[in-house]
Amino acid sequence: MRLDSPIVLLSGCVGFGEEYTRIEGFSNRDAGAIVLKGTTLEPRLGNPPHRVYETPMGMLNAIGLQNPGVDKVVDEILPGLDFTETRFMANVCGSTIEDYAAVTRRFDDSPIDAIEINISCPNIKEGGVSFGNYPEMSAKVVAACRAQTSKPIIAKLSPNQTDIRENARLCIEAGADALAVINTVMGMAIDAESRKPIIGNVRGGLSGPAIKPIALLKVHQAYEVAGPNNIPVIGQGGISNAADAIEFIIAGASTVGVGTALFYDPLVCTKINDGIADYLKRHNFASVSDLVGTLQY
Amino acid sequence: MNVTNAAQRNRGTIFVEDASVIDVQSFPGKQFVIRLHAAKCAARATAGSFIHIQCDETIPMRRPLSIMRVDVTEGWIEVLFKTVGEGLRALGNKKIGDAVSVIGPIGHGFVPSSERPRTLLIGGGVGIPPMVFLAETLHEDNFDWHPLVIMGSEIPFPFDMTTSAIPTPWLADEISGSMPLLESWGIPSRLASLQGYDGCFRGYVTDLARKWLMSLSKSELAEVELFSCGPTPMLKAVASLAREFDLACQVSLEEFMACAVGGCAGCAVRVTSSDGVAMKRVCVDGPVFDAATVFAE
Ligand SMILES: Cc1cc2nc3c(=O)[nH]c(=O)nc-3n(C[C@H](O)[C@H](O)[C@H](O)COP(=O)(O)O)c2cc1C
Ligand code: FES
Repeated sequence: MRLDSPIVLLSGCVGFGEEYTRIEGFSNRDAGAIVLKGTTLEPRLGNPPHRVYETPMGMLNAIGLQNPGVDKVVDEILPGLDFTETRFMANVCGSTIEDYAAVTRRFDDSPIDAIEINISCPNIKEGGVSFGNYPEMSAKVVAACRAQTSKPIIAKLSPNQTDIRENARLCIEAGADALAVINTVMGMAIDAESRKPIIGNVRGGLSGPAIKPIALLKVHQAYEVAGPNNIPVIGQGGISNAADAIEFIIAGASTVGVGTALFYDPLVCTKINDGIADYLKRHNFASVSDLVGTLQY
Repeated sequence: MNVTNAAQRNRGTIFVEDASVIDVQSFPGKQFVIRLHAAKCAARATAGSFIHIQCDETIPMRRPLSIMRVDVTEGWIEVLFKTVGEGLRALGNKKIGDAVSVIGPIGHGFVPSSERPRTLLIGGGVGIPPMVFLAETLHEDNFDWHPLVIMGSEIPFPFDMTTSAIPTPWLADEISGSMPLLESWGIPSRLASLQGYDGCFRGYVTDLARKWLMSLSKSELAEVELFSCGPTPMLKAVASLAREFDLACQVSLEEFMACAVGGCAGCAVRVTSSDGVAMKRVCVDGPVFDAATVFAE
């Protein structure tokens, strides 16, 4: 799949594809692809407030996958999107492997360009542990989704595990066409006065510049497995400017994801696109793909 | 694909502006009123709408602040805030000529109805700004509104209190402290505090409001609508006052925000209407809601 820009706008940060177009000067065309909010089989109301909280150089979130359910997304939201502007990707979530498969099947029969599998959801049949924390469980989810669609599948890996290489390897074997690395890092925040957690859900996902060094390493490790198999990596986690994006590409990312940085600057995409183009010119690279994984050591 | 479809109707309605500080006023209790040149935002702002402001370049996450006043011809907006955290402290340190990035105007504001011209505006603490904006809107409107503004604060009020020349027969004469700006528009305002400030009603804003409501005839009461912004316990009390007198009531809510443009669902609150329970985003579905839908009996 070819993208017009190496930038992917990340799931959960841009609603269902139209929200940021409220901003004058923002265009969906500035992104190579847009990943829609995590979607489940049934509608979900999501978590009680507070759902977001600022932390040093980052933020915690626990939205709880608020979404109207896959039927509404396919029947009512996708028809309103302009697919000539960019590529739209679904973000598939579930509480069981069967859920993931059913949501993927529904998106298979839709104009969506690709399907990202958010394996970081809790598995209700295994006491609520995240599928993504275990390589075998991750691979089972990917295989179940693979069986439902011929569209490109992206496995979105969790950083909350011992060795991401094993997870990457098993997901590729299970049929993933690309990897997204990384999802948020689990964390919490406490209000000492009331001795209560600030996030309604108690725990939340940390994103933004605070997680960038973790993400860079995980991207590089995933690339060690994915690169030789010609599987592209969508690098993400704290990318806020062109310099960050370039570092991720050097570490092994073919495309870069931008989420939290949009909250800082909604017009950041054009700046990153320009900065990458400038860097390629200065260093005599013909294209982004020539820079991918060129870390020297 | 039809480019002017319904999903795209909000495109380009919010602006990203490099605003410059044109005035800073400080008040006791670490309160500041800052006037910013942000012409596009000023042109579209309505009472209840807000900006998402970057307090300082070193603190990337933005803060939502209600707009207190605008001047469309001169292209400025004014906000009031209390320096609770590091971000707002940095904003309070800004000097005339400094640049700050502003996103706005955001959100659905208050919508008064000509069938209920006796508007009662109740603002508490940092909930005062949208009440001032609404009062100015009513003042400038051609229609014959009869607003009364009640403000509450447990720290000194963020203006130099004046003795009102507008009589309020339903209240003892010595409770005549008012906001000079409202006084200059010919709008009666009265102040409440538990602190026993001179000229202020000792008690809650809702106790003061009840005194006024009790003085009205049945036909006058039918022409009353409540508008309120302030801390949640106060809004709850205002909502139950509205229920007690069977009055329409619009409240402006606050919640932690990340994107402020509808992309992250981080600011969602529980709303109950005839359509059932839903989680609505304070930033773009609000911040103004029908009080009866957000505060249950
Ligand atoms: C508010 C918010 C909501 C998110 N929701 C989802 C989601 O529904 N599905 C998903 O796979 N990732 C979700 N994420 C994770 C992001 O897609 C992304 O992987 C992560 O935030 C790291 O990138 P960043 O630092 O650029 O934000 C969410 C992140 C944020 C901040
Ligand atoms: S703050 Fe992101 S949806 Fe309201």
